Amino acid sequence: MQAWKEICFQGANLFNLLILSYFFLGNGIYTLLMVRSLITVWIHNRRQAYRGLEQLRESAETAPVTIIMPAWNEEAIIVGSVRSALKTDYPHLEVIAVDDGSTDATLERLVAAFELIKMDLIFRPRLPILPPRAYYMNPALPNLLVVSKQNGGKAEALNAGINLCRTPYFCTLDSDCVLERDALLRLMHPVVSSPVPTAVSGGIIRILNGCKVKDGQVIQVGLPRTHLERFQVVEYLRTFLFGRTGWNLLGGTLIISGAFAVFHTESVVEAGGFRPDTVTEDMDLIIEIHRWAVQQNRRIQMSFTTDPVCWTECPATLGMLARQRRRWQLGLCQTLWKHSEILFRKKYGVVGMLSFPFHFYVEGLGAAVEFLGYFLVPLVIATRMVPLSLCILFLLLALAYGAFLSVGAVLLEELTYRRYPSFRDLMTLLLYALLENIGYRQLMLAFRFQGVVGFLRGIRQWDKVVHVGARA
Amino acid sequence: MPTLIDRVTELVLGFLLLVVLVTGALAVLAILRRRQRERYFERLDTLRRLYLPVIARLLAGELSIQQGLTMLGTVAGPDRVFVLERLLLEKAPTPAEVPPLRALCEGLGLVETWQRRLVGQSEDRPLRAALSSPDGVIQRVKRLGFLLRARSAKNLGLIRHQTSWPLLVQALADPHPDVRANAAWALGVIKEPQSFTPLVERLHTGILETSRDFSLWPIRSALASFPLKSAAGLLPSLLHPHPQVRYLAADIVREMVKRRAALEVCLVLEPPTFPRELCEVFLTRLCFDESSNVRARAAPVVAYLNDPRVTDVLITLLGDAEWFVRLRAVQAFAQQRCLAGIPDIARGLTDPHWRVREATTRALRCLGQVGIDHLFTHFLTTTDAFSREQIADEFQRAGIIPDLLAQFEREESDRAFQVIQRLTEMGKTNYLAAALRDGSAETLRGKFLKQFGGSLAPQPEPR
Repeated sequence: MQAWKEICFQGANLFNLLILSYFFLGNGIYTLLMVRSLITVWIHNRRQAYRGLEQLRESAETAPVTIIMPAWNEEAIIVGSVRSALKTDYPHLEVIAVDDGSTDATLERLVAAFELIKMDLIFRPRLPILPPRAYYMNPALPNLLVVSKQNGGKAEALNAGINLCRTPYFCTLDSDCVLERDALLRLMHPVVSSPVPTAVSGGIIRILNGCKVKDGQVIQVGLPRTHLERFQVVEYLRTFLFGRTGWNLLGGTLIISGAFAVFHTESVVEAGGFRPDTVTEDMDLIIEIHRWAVQQNRRIQMSFTTDPVCWTECPATLGMLARQRRRWQLGLCQTLWKHSEILFRKKYGVVGMLSFPFHFYVEGLGAAVEFLGYFLVPLVIATRMVPLSLCILFLLLALAYGAFLSVGAVLLEELTYRRYPSFRDLMTLLLYALLENIGYRQLMLAFRFQGVVGFLRGIRQWDKVVHVGARA
Repeated sequence: MPTLIDRVTELVLGFLLLVVLVTGALAVLAILRRRQRERYFERLDTLRRLYLPVIARLLAGELSIQQGLTMLGTVAGPDRVFVLERLLLEKAPTPAEVPPLRALCEGLGLVETWQRRLVGQSEDRPLRAALSSPDGVIQRVKRLGFLLRARSAKNLGLIRHQTSWPLLVQALADPHPDVRANAAWALGVIKEPQSFTPLVERLHTGILETSRDFSLWPIRSALASFPLKSAAGLLPSLLHPHPQVRYLAADIVREMVKRRAALEVCLVLEPPTFPRELCEVFLTRLCFDESSNVRARAAPVVAYLNDPRVTDVLITLLGDAEWFVRLRAVQAFAQQRCLAGIPDIARGLTDPHWRVREATTRALRCLGQVGIDHLFTHFLTTTDAFSREQIADEFQRAGIIPDLLAQFEREESDRAFQVIQRLTEMGKTNYLAAALRDGSAETLRGKFLKQFGGSLAPQPEPR
């Protein structure tokens, strides 16, 4: 009995150390990312004043781009999304919409809206997928191609689009996203203006809920009405303005949102394309490209900038939000496990030595560590391993630090883009930034923990988030 | 004696208080910043309401420059330059607006300010005045000075300030890539002939630098925007020992020619616009360069030359080892719009690379009915399955199928019938079926069923 008590005591001690290390490491790195991002995003915003998009628009050097839009059961929004994509301000643009075996009227609505004709076109399977069922075009709209294929998941749908892509770059765009008219120009700016070949260029995703949309464009930005959606707005600001920017500055980009990103076609094909073995195929591809570049001894860059904007709906109900977060965590774990051999491998540079270990330990395992920590704390108090006052102080510190990071994100938004026009919106964002860590964070943690458990159990589901048209 | 736990508790408490204070400070900063920006935008909106109509009338010629200067001269404050830039240059001016805008900027002292900023001279202002202006803050931080220099270069380019070109040339060597890029762009819009050579030199330097932090795109774009007569200045680059220099120089000339061809429908490159030396270099050296990139960029240029050797050179390039050179050669042939060249272009129909086959198919289609007829003939006679597939693809994408069916209905030739028959044999029937389902095509449907009703099942092409 004494021996068991001793084992439990040592185990609890070890877990305490784990939690402490997770807290200091995670928050320390987040703070570093925040400080660097604050300066960089502010400077980047000032540079927009003289970075003329018209030069990109008019230059013959601007490479053609194909927007690839996979869709599954999106009959409510698909026509508007494709119309919006076609109106994107970019000199040489093609659009490929891939209907991934929808069981609703997604394909029929596209055919009717654009007067498409079924054709028998050449299919060159550079990336291995099941051949598509049909192709649809309208000769009067030569830059739009609709592909119908049997359901095979988002990765395969994207690969189908890549196989039909004839441009040196392609842009993945989720069908539920609203792209700002000049977003693609802004996304291509780092590609054109970089001395190093750019394999991937990512932009920022903002929450569409609460905004007014007309003719496929956001005409009025506003905050959503519910607490859940507002917390997500703050979360997205923190993730994109700090997290992604910060890692990009360090050269350790591991995640670029596949909802809206530009890829160099040949690099993606050589890296093997999107793979169906994880549910976060975008993150998986980024790491695959890193590995391919190292193996082929190619110098490439991955770019993330905060001025190209894509708006997307966030889940408005707890059930949908839970699905989304479980899926994201599941995908994160799958991807990290799949590529675990690059962990602490020097040849992968910052990605192998810093970014991947961080995501592995803090984002991946950290969900479980932090979640279990909430159960361990009462135990630690009850057994008087740590005084109650210290426990409470530490808990308050954790909450305060989380608030600090979120308020920092709101400040950065205020110093730069200021997309939320009213003063009331700012005060609301600050309030939710302060409250985010009291309840909301813990709820997300629970969902993420479920994702980790799902991964350990070998679950590989894609839980679809249903869009309810949360625009104002 | 405080224990370790006590010390740790104090530390955590101290850290907690620090975090709370800093968080509060950040929140207050956000609120103050919003208030400040609201006041600033209110002021800017007021000034816009006051002065934008004045500026619009001035640019439309309804007001004299002197009147405009008198009115705008009343804009004052530590952020005067910043505000005037917003009022005058928020939108890029049209070519007609540039001269009066330039006169305004000169009269208001903005040009002088930009020129000083471009060379890195700072303005001496008291700290309080400096901090109340966005530019004042930037000027105080040396590392951020590039923001002002880059914006100054851009503004000088927007108003096409010709006499600033030497300063802009100097700025091509600025330590920051943004300043270099904007200076190059400004020189490209100003198009001062004497700035062409320094731009070329900068291009050379950029290519030969091993650790380059600067994309050559702004310089390439700037050079390509010069008039075609400036191309002679690239002759040394076209003969440079470094292949990358030759490639970029050839590409710039190609772009210049392309822009000129867009304005002049039947462009022919000959002296004095295009010197004899350049013609010779392209025809005898660049089209046979060791670098495939150079050969590919030379092909579109030689297509416009008035020289009997052009056809032979392009035919040689059609047989190049690299597919993208063959692609450019096909496109170059099509550029000539010379129907006599169709047999030569058509060689690309059986090229091993699909992009060349695709480009050839498109090129022939764009040559009108003669080209399309040639495609039909090839489609019916070739044994190359890949070639047939490519042509069938193009027939569908280009919407030729309805025309084909119309010809078939009118019995204009047997060819339409044969092409349709071949398409059905290949299994390319969906578009045909869609066209036949058209409500108005009753006669056509009847004829089609009569002709093809007894046909065998489609024979898919071997892959």
